[in-house]
Amino acid sequence: MNTDQLIEALTKDVPPVRRYSVGRRLAAGIAVGAVGTLLLIVLLLGFNPQLDVAMRHYSFWVKWGYTLSLGTCAVVATTRLARPDSGKLGWLWVMALPVASLAAIGVFEMSRVPPAQWLTMWLGESWSVCSALVFMLSLPIFGGLLWSFRRLAPTRLRAAGATAGLNAGAWAATLYCLHCPEVSAIFVLTWYTLGIGLAALLGAVIGPRLMRW
Amino acid sequence: MRASETQLKAWMIGGLDGDAACQARLLRALVPIVEAFYRRRMQDGLGDIDDLIQETLIAVHTRRSTYDRERLFSGWLFAIARYKMIDHFRKGGRTCTMEGLEDILVTEGFEDESGARMDIDRLLDELPVKQADAIRATRLEGLSVTEAAARAKIGESDVKISVHRGLKALAARIRGEI
Repeated sequence: MNTDQLIEALTKDVPPVRRYSVGRRLAAGIAVGAVGTLLLIVLLLGFNPQLDVAMRHYSFWVKWGYTLSLGTCAVVATTRLARPDSGKLGWLWVMALPVASLAAIGVFEMSRVPPAQWLTMWLGESWSVCSALVFMLSLPIFGGLLWSFRRLAPTRLRAAGATAGLNAGAWAATLYCLHCPEVSAIFVLTWYTLGIGLAALLGAVIGPRLMRW
Repeated sequence: MRASETQLKAWMIGGLDGDAACQARLLRALVPIVEAFYRRRMQDGLGDIDDLIQETLIAVHTRRSTYDRERLFSGWLFAIARYKMIDHFRKGGRTCTMEGLEDILVTEGFEDESGARMDIDRLLDELPVKQADAIRATRLEGLSVTEAAARAKIGESDVKISVHRGLKALAARIRGEI
């Protein structure tokens, strides 16, 4: 096919493109994935039976504040990396802010209990499964984002994969809060962050393979 | 005469609003621009350039939703062209570390650079081929006069004279344009 024929064939179909279509497409992928993640929580884990009590405690909002701020950063970064001319990503260092805040809260909480309880605070009741669960729950959202990226145009595939994984991990952790009964900040700082980090790592490893176009 | 950034952007936005005629004009105008982009960067494998141009046009068309109307059109276009070129090298088994290359591009201010490059290309295209090639080789690609002469298979003094006359003509043209 010569180039003129190609152009003619391509321009037979020129549907209008709405503004913010990259953001919409990513949001749709995350939303579809999040439904999958919620289903997994309902079917395999169940909601925290004392969720209403937990939600009245500050620790629940510390957890959500942490995961939601990571998720927000990840969405903004992914929206940029979904474009070919993605621009600079140095501002992602602002993610250190929620991490540092959570660490500060953790230190404050530790200072209020005898050191003998520190280990219990850190390991909680579910340290051995928490990270793995967050990672597992991130997979549907990661899948949803891969679907989103099929129509997008990332040119830095490893970075795009990593932020997609970060997105999946952060939103999965946000939903996992509905199940998780843990309350201490250092627990969240360690085991949630580990799970979210694993999701981002997975994205960075397989992104270049799966996001090519 | 190549279409300007403003013109290309206007066609692109027309296409995004659903105007097929704008989209067709845009794609046709991109053919020589993209072709020049690849010719300058790929000495060997010239046969692949036509495929690459078509792939780039398809990408520009099918991924047009990723263009941000607030940003430079040529930055977006050349990012796609560059990605397609790197992908092409990778398929061909050439070693070309993509991550590193991108970092260099980002730190060097890729958008500004590509905008400036378009202007330079436009100016050079108005010169005789020999003068334009001599200026590209010695002033843009950083070859020595000897290397440039060997590549163009002409004498060294010929290269020097071509550069001199070419730059003089460019200077006159720029003064005339202002």
